[in-house]
Amino acid sequence: MPAPCLEVERVTVRRGTTVVVDAASLRLGEGAIVTIEGASGSGKSTLLRAIATLLPTASGTLSFRGLDVATLSLPDYRRQVAYVPQLPPMFDGTVAENVAAGPRFRGATLAADVVAKLLTRVSLDAGLATRAASSLSGGEKLRVALARALANEPVALLLDEPTSALDPASAHHIVDLVVELARAGTAVLAVTHSAEHAARLGGLHYRMTAGVLGVVAPP
Amino acid sequence: MTYLEIPAPRLALALGLIALAIGLSRLARLGLERDLGLGTVRAAVQLTAIGYGLRLLFAHPSPLAIFGLLALMTAVAAFTSTRRVPDGPGTRELFPYALVAILGGAAIAVLPMMLFVIRPKPWFDGRYVIPIGGMMLSSAMNVVAQVFERLFATARVERPVIEQALALGATPAQSVAPYMRAALRGALTPTINGLVTVGLVALPGMMTGQIVSGAAPEQAVRYQIVIMYQLVAVAAVSGYLAAAFARRLLFTSGARLRAEG
Repeated sequence: MPAPCLEVERVTVRRGTTVVVDAASLRLGEGAIVTIEGASGSGKSTLLRAIATLLPTASGTLSFRGLDVATLSLPDYRRQVAYVPQLPPMFDGTVAENVAAGPRFRGATLAADVVAKLLTRVSLDAGLATRAASSLSGGEKLRVALARALANEPVALLLDEPTSALDPASAHHIVDLVVELARAGTAVLAVTHSAEHAARLGGLHYRMTAGVLGVVAPP
Repeated sequence: MTYLEIPAPRLALALGLIALAIGLSRLARLGLERDLGLGTVRAAVQLTAIGYGLRLLFAHPSPLAIFGLLALMTAVAAFTSTRRVPDGPGTRELFPYALVAILGGAAIAVLPMMLFVIRPKPWFDGRYVIPIGGMMLSSAMNVVAQVFERLFATARVERPVIEQALALGATPAQSVAPYMRAALRGALTPTINGLVTVGLVALPGMMTGQIVSGAAPEQAVRYQIVIMYQLVAVAAVSGYLAAAFARRLLFTSGARLRAEG
């Protein structure tokens, strides 16, 4: 059996002395979808941020393609395992500059036609490229954030409540888009409080309750 | 040419200016009377002490006393620069960094000027190195305080943006680069404003002091030019060091932003 894309083994995250995530374990296969459902404050977003290496873990191991993440270059790991927060902040500048941010951090430039393709892929009008990113609606910002993550050609996407700030129509659209990305080979680990969206996304479902992660439905 | 001495009773007349400010504070209900009173007393006590201290120092010049006083001034400046950084890691942790940033900027500004431009004998003559060093330390203190305050505050407010940059593969340095630039520009701007307006708006203290005490204005001006250029170096070097240290303190070894509070 090949090593999974991501493997979380008994990861504990503390805030001060409080245990927010208690020995959570999960596996995300290459190109698979895994969803974590849970109420606000259950620790699911904290777990996602820990997997994104934005928060330190108190114990447990995090492996990427069979390698302990602690031994990897974090910028390299973060490029390959792209984290998109619930309300993704935009950098100052245009939509195109936002989409090209990841490659720019490693000294590469993204051609205008690549930016246009990425925008089209997330169902945005390529003409938005020259707009100020700050002027976009919440749904548009989320799409730009997805395009920005995809510009790094990640093998996995970590999505924190990707539909929570959207109207139902946009939310369904994003869910479909995520399913499509997974079909195209990008593994997706999505956190959501909507059982309906979790079901639509498919894949393996986990539920987080007071920091404890459990499997709800087998694949 | 001699300069006019101020006898103590006439010095007390200057207190009328403070009384005026206190009166205005009371009238406008600013609540600053206590601060003004305390500041007035502190300024008088501290300046009188340094006046007699310098007199003693000039009468019995010793390298130990000169460098000891400079060290004390540096320590006070470093301590003060870390006092009002509400989003920072605290005075205890910031102090050594502030010390290096202030000392670095001041030393780079003062040493070459003493050795090659002003050239007193010895090069650390207290009459020169203490007033000039004091000006540089004071300026470095303000620059370091401003850079610390601004960078730590910005990092708190812009935390989601910085984390998003990290999540896209930015190094810690890349993730805060725009804020570093803004903080350094902010620190250098007053000094640059000083450069372009000196002589037009302000006749600075060193120069006016020399003129009052009888120095030829064209020589006093040369000193002032040196001072202005030194202040630029202080702002640049101390500001840069403070920003680099703040950046280091903002992140943990795992290229993560430090946890809040």
